[in-house]
Amino acid sequence: MQNITRLYALSKRNVILRYKNSLVGFFWGFFKPLLYLLIFIVIFKQNSGIHDYVLFVTSGLILWFFFSNVTGQSVGSIVSSSGLLKSLNIPAYYFPLSETIGELFNLLLTLVVFFIIMKWFGLVYGLKLLLIFPCIFLFAVFALGLNLFLCSLNVFFRDIGIIWGTIQPALFFLTPIAYPEKNIDPKYSLFIKCNPIYYFLKLGRSIFYDPAAPSLHQWTSCLIIAIAMYIIGHFVFNRLKNQFISAI
Amino acid sequence: MSSDTIINVEDVHVSFWQNNVGVYSIKDLIIHRKSPFTSKTILNNISVEVKRGESLGIVGRNGSGKSTLLRTIAGIIKPDKGKVTVNGTFAPILAIGAGLEPELTGYENISMLLALYGTQRKNTNAIANIQEFSELDDEVLRMPVKQFSSGMVARLAFSISLANDSDILIIDEVLAVGDQGFQAKCMEKIYSIKDQGKTILFVSHFPDDVAKICNKAILLEHGEMIHSGNSIDICNNYRQLF
Repeated sequence: MQNITRLYALSKRNVILRYKNSLVGFFWGFFKPLLYLLIFIVIFKQNSGIHDYVLFVTSGLILWFFFSNVTGQSVGSIVSSSGLLKSLNIPAYYFPLSETIGELFNLLLTLVVFFIIMKWFGLVYGLKLLLIFPCIFLFAVFALGLNLFLCSLNVFFRDIGIIWGTIQPALFFLTPIAYPEKNIDPKYSLFIKCNPIYYFLKLGRSIFYDPAAPSLHQWTSCLIIAIAMYIIGHFVFNRLKNQFISAI
Repeated sequence: MSSDTIINVEDVHVSFWQNNVGVYSIKDLIIHRKSPFTSKTILNNISVEVKRGESLGIVGRNGSGKSTLLRTIAGIIKPDKGKVTVNGTFAPILAIGAGLEPELTGYENISMLLALYGTQRKNTNAIANIQEFSELDDEVLRMPVKQFSSGMVARLAFSISLANDSDILIIDEVLAVGDQGFQAKCMEKIYSIKDQGKTILFVSHFPDDVAKICNKAILLEHGEMIHSGNSIDICNNYRQLF
């Protein structure tokens, strides 16, 4: 019970801090994907040859921005919490975990707006849409694993935060979000398939956009990737956590 | 270990990784296969026992390992060797501005920290007590903590830590920045906590305060405990260091 209270307090802090001193606060969360969407419509829509392009892009964008926000916030979460970590016996993993929870909360709010607006852009209401919750859960487990990995290494090598900020935009264009998968030259398709985020976005897009429900194969790939990433992150984090205090 | 022992530190050894990252680090890492970290001993062979109701002072030069010892006792740092046994609950370590989030307001910090420290949320008295003890008015507490003066930060941090009813209070050189009135008030509060039979761990560079508050003390030098015993004697030893 005390753990839940503590996690809640930290998650709340993260949500408050994110939009502190900004004028329209939470709505910036919508503004960013909207801006990207407009750019994509201008640049990619004509050549994409797909129906309901807005729905196609948006379903990828909301998952991508969840991922990009949560990793971007978490990478420095241990370093920036040095005051608390040095004065209170509180497990260090609460910090990346509470960042993930705070960002999930943001995603849920975004989803509400998404469900309402996308009605006009071809979103079909139905029970299938509920599948997005297990999909988000798997994606969040994957993101948490990556966060544990990034934030613990960042304590010792601050380069990680900088490198991650550089890799992210590249990863964005490597993931078929603005363009359909079939536009990629088949000889590079292996390249795309090495990108773990591709599988989660594809799963999300199957739920929002494709007429058919996602296949069992899609679910199992996401499950395996999420668990594998979590195990790696957990292992690295646990190896390093006893030395955090000396380096922050 | 007898039953009235509240803290028992046995042969504790703590070492930190020291980061050697620099311009040549990648070359060292790849060509010389040198680890980017070296291990540095911070605390070596420390053994202390504190009985219920006793207060322990820790003195020593800057960098002698006092804060690390406090953090090891509080469970924040895990020792490489040795064992720390504690039979009680801790208030958070009182250090200057400990745990306060500069971007959040005084009130937001109070509610966040009370939740993190495990104080009951329903305890609305806690907030009133904090406000009363810190003597910070409503207008101040609505400001972000980054706009506080260092004395105000110390007042707030001290008051929040005291709101938690715990067996052991850890004070790490926090009193130096408050004004005279507040310092006197804090000392009074510390005495009253002591009179309630609680245990205090006290780090300070003012030997007189240590001698007054604590009955026992230890003197650290380069991570080793060079003296331990009666606080008045230890404070004299400390003065002789300089």
